[in-house]
Amino acid sequence: MAERKTKKEISSTKGTTTAVKKQAPAKLAIGEQPAAQKEARIGVFICHCGTNIAGSMDINAVQEYAKTIPNVGYVDNYKNMCSMPGQAVINKAIHDNKLTGVVVAACSPRLHEPTFRTATKEGGLNPFRFEMANIREQNSWVHMHDQEGSTEKAKDAIRIAVAKASLLEDLFPKSVPVEKAAMVVGAGIAGMQAALDLANAGIKTYLIEKTPTIGGRMSQLDKTFPTLDCSQCILTPKMVDVGRSPNIELMTYSEVESVEGYIGNFDVTIRKKARGVLTPAEAAAKGIVGGGCNGCGDCETACPVIQPNTFEEGMKPRKAIYIQHPQVVPLLYTIDKEACIKCEICVKVCGEKKAIDLNQEDEFVKVKVGTAIMAVGYDIFPIENKTEWGYKRYENVITSLEFERLICASGPTGGHMVRPSDGVAPKKVAFLLCAGSRDNTGIGKPYCSRFCCMYSLKHAHQLIEKMPGVQPYIFYMDIRSFGKMYEEFYYRIQDEGAKFIRGRVSNILEDPVSKNLMVFADDTLLDRPMKLEVDLVVLAAAVQPSADTNRTRKLFGVSCSMDGWLLEAHPKLNPCGTTTAGVFLAGACQGPKDIPDVVASAEGAASAASIPIHVGHVELEPYFAQCIEEKCAGCGMCVNLCPYTALALIEKDGRKVMQVTEAKCKGCGTCGGFCPGGAIWMNHFATPQIIAQIDAFLLGGEH
Amino acid sequence: MAKTKGYPEALETKLRDRYMYGDDSHPEFTDSVEKISMSIPHMCYQCGTCTASCPSAPRSSYRIRKFVRRVVLGLENEALTDPDLWLCTTCYSCTDRCPRDIAPTDVIMAMRNLAFKRDIIPVNFLKTVQAIYTTGHGVPNNDVNRAARVKLGMDADPPTTHTYKEFIPGIQKILDYYKLKANADRIVKEREG
Repeated sequence: MAERKTKKEISSTKGTTTAVKKQAPAKLAIGEQPAAQKEARIGVFICHCGTNIAGSMDINAVQEYAKTIPNVGYVDNYKNMCSMPGQAVINKAIHDNKLTGVVVAACSPRLHEPTFRTATKEGGLNPFRFEMANIREQNSWVHMHDQEGSTEKAKDAIRIAVAKASLLEDLFPKSVPVEKAAMVVGAGIAGMQAALDLANAGIKTYLIEKTPTIGGRMSQLDKTFPTLDCSQCILTPKMVDVGRSPNIELMTYSEVESVEGYIGNFDVTIRKKARGVLTPAEAAAKGIVGGGCNGCGDCETACPVIQPNTFEEGMKPRKAIYIQHPQVVPLLYTIDKEACIKCEICVKVCGEKKAIDLNQEDEFVKVKVGTAIMAVGYDIFPIENKTEWGYKRYENVITSLEFERLICASGPTGGHMVRPSDGVAPKKVAFLLCAGSRDNTGIGKPYCSRFCCMYSLKHAHQLIEKMPGVQPYIFYMDIRSFGKMYEEFYYRIQDEGAKFIRGRVSNILEDPVSKNLMVFADDTLLDRPMKLEVDLVVLAAAVQPSADTNRTRKLFGVSCSMDGWLLEAHPKLNPCGTTTAGVFLAGACQGPKDIPDVVASAEGAASAASIPIHVGHVELEPYFAQCIEEKCAGCGMCVNLCPYTALALIEKDGRKVMQVTEAKCKGCGTCGGFCPGGAIWMNHFATPQIIAQIDAFLLGGEH
Repeated sequence: MAKTKGYPEALETKLRDRYMYGDDSHPEFTDSVEKISMSIPHMCYQCGTCTASCPSAPRSSYRIRKFVRRVVLGLENEALTDPDLWLCTTCYSCTDRCPRDIAPTDVIMAMRNLAFKRDIIPVNFLKTVQAIYTTGHGVPNNDVNRAARVKLGMDADPPTTHTYKEFIPGIQKILDYYKLKANADRIVKEREG
């Protein structure tokens, strides 16, 4: 006991409270408690959460114990504390018992802290005088079969929460103005839709796209399921709208270079990659009258350098100066710097327009926006890694995206579906679903890529429609046709004559002469292994986050899940938000999505991103660090540690002290934990508050 | 056979009860197969990659996928009494390709272990045991092989227990420890007299 007391003494002298008080007696210093709060009266409210909590512990025992904790002025329990009557219990108790703080023992603060803060506020207290004791996620749920243990653990949790609540202070959220502009990164269908929505809501929107044109993956598709709309036909009007919208500032062939700031005030630096071609506006700025690229294409005809066209999945050539396809927005040529030999023939044929500048260099543009949406899309998984299907080894094994280009009228074959080895139309085509998806070997992807079932049905339909006599075989494990009119589409394709084989293809062998392919699978419904000779194999390859996702997400401070998809704030209730305030997600970068889902997600993200802009200001949680200037030695070591560049050294009264930009500070505590002089006070997580919690735990409530 | 009322006898077999009943399922069978195989057959989603990879499947009634399914459902009797259990060549193609990262080959081996505990095993496997016991080889060298080896410029016998016969007692000690030889002898005698 004697030893314990010593510990207590040491710990309480460690706290900053006493020290600060001595030095600043006149006005209330940082971290000082107002006199009235010396006699803390804490109300403890224990939630049953139906039987979620009450089913695993003795609520009465916990309640009786709570009454014995120092500073506790009132204890109650209720079936569902978060319900309106439950909140009324808190409200009434604050008034009746003149409470100075509230502890609710219930679920996790992530779920209901806002609810109980509001209840605390309605009871007349500062909302930050509320503390939550988690006795559900961290207790009753995990100790479901240990009644005694979970009861004891709940007592500990409440005692610890009361210790902190006794020392909590009034805090006031900081309001910062929001820049009336937004940014959308990625101009596929997700980014375009989000940008159009924001622009139509009257918000200035910067739309950043890393390739030379907007449109993304959707512009590579031929038709869309289940309606069989021509993809380009429904996409190009939107592309034109984006190009024309007065509120959208489109920056193609550009990348986000750096992001600084916080919700309401992001300072974003954009790298405008040198495309080697001037827009009419850029030309005019240089004094070239009537100049700049008008998309005439004379340069392309003249250019002697041939490269594979990535838009056509490498199945068509393009020049070193190129547009990806005829419908590009903006209609502006781009020079592939890697390929260009600087022969300057293009410069000559461009003539008086003087649109080509082979020595152009990357340019950096800074913009300020209030909110940002990431819509960085997806890539195709390198399916050659699954060697058993022979992609890139066998000529007639292609991916679905290659199929889209081959069957598309504007594609490399003008829409004539031929197989790569000999240019002959195939008669039997095998579609391999879940190629690399639902794969737990560590080579493929463990998730379902979600849209492959449907587009493969569509491919089968296109073959049957375009080439009578062709037999499509669809090798599947499950057909996932869950969307509106999707199951009906499945019915239709089966009716049209596609053969469905319920079995995953184990391997493919190639006939070296005919280049035909032997497909091996188990027809699991017939219970017979099969060996099927086909002319063409189409792999419905898994999708994965696009190549640049990881770099870009780090700039915006957005997390990702284990498989690389960007992490939403809540998978069900906040699918467009992220854990970084003011940054939102749209489209497939959050996880595989088909076009209807992408558009819905983009509209959701645009709506969410417009809210802070329309409100005009945001309230920041007042958890920022504060400098106790009397103690600060001005060493500046904290400045470099801060992950949010929120700290700076300033001159004050002839010496250097640290200053916090409160709006930038996220209250992470890195500086506060490090400061050798104990000169940094972390609001709401102050040293005395935390030490009181530790004491309450270690000393078991004994004083 | 009065009860078949003149129909061929096969009808009795054809009309037997084919329902799967809850009682047929033994979860402890699933557990012991998983433990012995050190694999996760309960994760099988029945895609058929294993059967499609299997060199035995197109030539026999052996279906590795069905055996894994029986493990999932704990159908111990059905799995262990099916003679197809012994048609796996242990080539491991299914294990290479299984998208759920199950090792179906090891699952089969585990079930063979469990079957042997119930004396369910084909005699040819037991004769292999006897051959290993006496020669150290499942397939011992023979005169045809010896002649071929000499013709190819090799020693008539390989540098194994065929050459170093002093190591055979060590192998016998291992087989004796697990009573493999004794059991093999006993079962062969029961079946062949």
